[in-house]
Amino acid sequence: MNIETSEFHWGMVIDLDRCTGCGACVTACQAENNIPISEQDGIANGRNLHWIRIERYWEGEFPHVRARFLPMLCQHCDDAPCEPVCPVYASYHNPEGLNGQVYNRCVGTRYCANNCPYAVRVFNFFNPKWPKPLEQQLSPDVTVRSRGVMEKCSFCIQRIRRGKEQASLENRKLLDGEVMPACAQTCPPQAIIFGDLNDPDSRVSKLARSPRRFRLFEDLGTEPSVIYLKGGGHDHPG
Amino acid sequence: MKRRSFLQLSGMSLASSMLAGCRKGNEKLIPFLVPPEDGAIPGIANYYASTCRQCPAGCGVLVRVHEGRAQKVEGNPHHPVNQGKLCARGQAMLQELYHPDRIKQPLKRTGIRGSGQFIPISWDEALKQLAGALAPYQQKEQEGLLLFSAPLRGSLARLTGDFLQHFPKAQHLAWEPLSPEWLQQGLFGNPGIPDYDLGNTQYLLSFGADFLESHLSPVRYGHGFGHMRQERQTVRGRYSYIGPRLSLTAASADRWLPARPGTEWALAFGIIRRLLQEKSFDASALQAAGLSVTNVTELVANFNVQRVAEIADISPTEIRATINEAVSISPALALVGEMTAWQSNGSAAVAAVELLNLMLGNINRPGGLYFTPATDAHISSNYAELTGLIERMQQKKVQLALIYGCNPVFSIPSDSNFSAALANIPQIISFASFLDETSLQADLILPDHSNLESWGDIVPPAGTRQQVIGLIQPVVKPLHNTRAFPDVLLALAKGMGGNLAMQLPHESYLQWLEEDLIKRIPDLFIGDRRQQMDHLLQQGGWFGPELEPISPKALKRPERVVSPEFSGAQEQYPLQLQVYASVNFYDGRSSHLPWLQQLPDPMTTVVWGNWLEINPQTARKLGVNQGDLVEVSSPAGKLTLPAVLYPGLRPEVVACPIGQGHQGLGRYADRRGENPLKLIKETEASKQRLTWGGTRVQVRRLAASSGLVTAGHAEGSYHRDLLGL
Repeated sequence: MNIETSEFHWGMVIDLDRCTGCGACVTACQAENNIPISEQDGIANGRNLHWIRIERYWEGEFPHVRARFLPMLCQHCDDAPCEPVCPVYASYHNPEGLNGQVYNRCVGTRYCANNCPYAVRVFNFFNPKWPKPLEQQLSPDVTVRSRGVMEKCSFCIQRIRRGKEQASLENRKLLDGEVMPACAQTCPPQAIIFGDLNDPDSRVSKLARSPRRFRLFEDLGTEPSVIYLKGGGHDHPG
Repeated sequence: MKRRSFLQLSGMSLASSMLAGCRKGNEKLIPFLVPPEDGAIPGIANYYASTCRQCPAGCGVLVRVHEGRAQKVEGNPHHPVNQGKLCARGQAMLQELYHPDRIKQPLKRTGIRGSGQFIPISWDEALKQLAGALAPYQQKEQEGLLLFSAPLRGSLARLTGDFLQHFPKAQHLAWEPLSPEWLQQGLFGNPGIPDYDLGNTQYLLSFGADFLESHLSPVRYGHGFGHMRQERQTVRGRYSYIGPRLSLTAASADRWLPARPGTEWALAFGIIRRLLQEKSFDASALQAAGLSVTNVTELVANFNVQRVAEIADISPTEIRATINEAVSISPALALVGEMTAWQSNGSAAVAAVELLNLMLGNINRPGGLYFTPATDAHISSNYAELTGLIERMQQKKVQLALIYGCNPVFSIPSDSNFSAALANIPQIISFASFLDETSLQADLILPDHSNLESWGDIVPPAGTRQQVIGLIQPVVKPLHNTRAFPDVLLALAKGMGGNLAMQLPHESYLQWLEEDLIKRIPDLFIGDRRQQMDHLLQQGGWFGPELEPISPKALKRPERVVSPEFSGAQEQYPLQLQVYASVNFYDGRSSHLPWLQQLPDPMTTVVWGNWLEINPQTARKLGVNQGDLVEVSSPAGKLTLPAVLYPGLRPEVVACPIGQGHQGLGRYADRRGENPLKLIKETEASKQRLTWGGTRVQVRRLAASSGLVTAGHAEGSYHRDLLGL
């Protein structure tokens, strides 16, 4: 559903020619969003909690072997498959194109995760634990999720809000590049660019028009807000 | 009560309660009568600039602090080293501050060494004991005092130097495994490390340099890499990697040349030969460096494509294509790294790549490398000094060891017998923040502050053309009863009296730091000193003007490179072991942080453990599957590790990351995985320089299950074609 009542449509461009797969974004996201620590047995049993992950693909055999990386996070689809299946409207579409998750409403049916083709929704099977004093790091801007709640990438909505509040205090418009999610902010090769897709002059809009653009599972018609730029050597120059 | 008055009363009380409800609440926020000292305002976050110490690179950070608690570390956008970017290790700095297993007060050993039995003591008592232990070494002839630390730079180096002057025979050894001493001993013997201008180069050739994960300044080079690839309108920089393992850094290359371990240099000679043939080399640079064309021509004469291909065991087509690219695309920049330097022929191989850079005309030009003069005090020791020290320790010539900022028991191969030699030292005093392998051996522990509680400065060893002094400031009040190492030195000086107290009368390290900064950047402190210092702290340090690059002189003639030597008989140990610094844990110093333990290794997606990488062809021959438990044995020792089938590895090579296998270091690192340094066999050559790439091993399958946990499917979550990658 592309009904927008806001001037913004947040989107992201991930340039796979820049991405080195280093994982800085993963830890930055975990720090920013109060994502609990996943112990070894939790991960072994498929209960890994992360809002962004790096997919690694091997290609070919020795000596003609390559490895490719793909950062995978919530694609904030405009026609999101997770939204219509939620019986309690916990998964909803925000006027700014964000795919929101209301923790208070979530009753833990996990239908949304089941329906997400990108497998980016993670479920809290247990209450999170932080041995003292590790809990002092937790950010007051982000809810700590409890047992039985689904969670996923929010495009750092707390940063978007903070940015907008700051701009309105100063009585000006939000500048391009002023709001950055934690992943984009930390990415050393600047592979992740975030911004307003409604503004044709924003950096993200310009990059989204690149001939290298593609979106994941375009054929499913989910209309993701995350646009990838092809990378990887001889096959795809410039 | 009458019915009427009851209704009147109840009506009145209802009305008054409703009226009270209608009244507006406090319209003003009442300010604090006594504002909190640290200026914390509820709901408002402060940002403090500081510097990261998770590796020596010295990236600038901004720490978001909310009501006295550090919440998030971000890159400092104005810092010349990292330009607002940060790696996963830097992000995880917070967990070091809030780690549940930090040492919370001074400890004194009660059980046997290594038992972990300590009792808490007061700082007064700890300082008294330390002063008592140090006092005899102030005499002229008294030998046996050792300070073992990580390499020190800037003001801490000066303070330590000044302190140790009063102990005439004291020895200071400053060593860490990934210190680029091999680069400083290369062709030019330059004390400063050159700045590689990755961002503006058009062709990048990495000789075993994993510059995106652990080599010198990974965040800076990561930033430069992005620039090289896609920041320029018309150019996409090309990049080839030569080395036996497809590392994270190599995975981003357009071409990977899987050379035999220790043979990468042959390609450099091949390119030099072509440059000479085509007369397209930089003759003036060669002359300026004091080298003659004839010598170089003689040296590389035989290195035609066929010969290079044979030495490195790569197809001649690939070699020819790479040489063509390197010669025709300009600027073309060559980097050399640990995978090449850690071989027995590493010294000559590093010199070969430096010669290549010289011939390509890369010295001091955009897209090349800049040599800048060393700008600051620097205490650093090399591997030969380390092995010399171990001998002295074995001969019981060290009586008192102070150990600060390093974990030598973990990061020195067991074959060099460091732990046994350490046991010979009657008194060991540690300044560690955690009970790691080394501090578990200590008799007295005086715990240091965490980085986010300390004052200090960092001079980035690599990666800027300008002079940079990054400042570290405390962003939160100390959590525990700890003290910064330099403050302990000053307190000792005061307590010990005499000349020492006269020369170091400073109340705190902050005072020392300020006075030291004034000496180093004098013109900055004209005017209000306090204001100037605040300004420096706000921006995260002093970023000076661009330095005039210097033309390097070759200290030695480039020499022939011999084949690398491997310890262990080939019949018994058919495979070659390559160890490498972990992407998540660097040299092992970060493995106690749960965020990093949980972060999947980018190449194997393994979490909470380590592993042995085996080429699938080799694994088939050995009957090993993904996740099997294997035994790796070398002439130095045996380890059991889970096997990971790794297509990006030469069939005769196995690889294992350094970083796991701690005995101690808190609940998240303790007894997790194995430390591959236990397999490294030391030889005569390795007494002189670090040669961790030169050990042969044997691999045997033990069992089908090993507890290996990977975060992703071995093949990735989806079929690659489906994603259109």
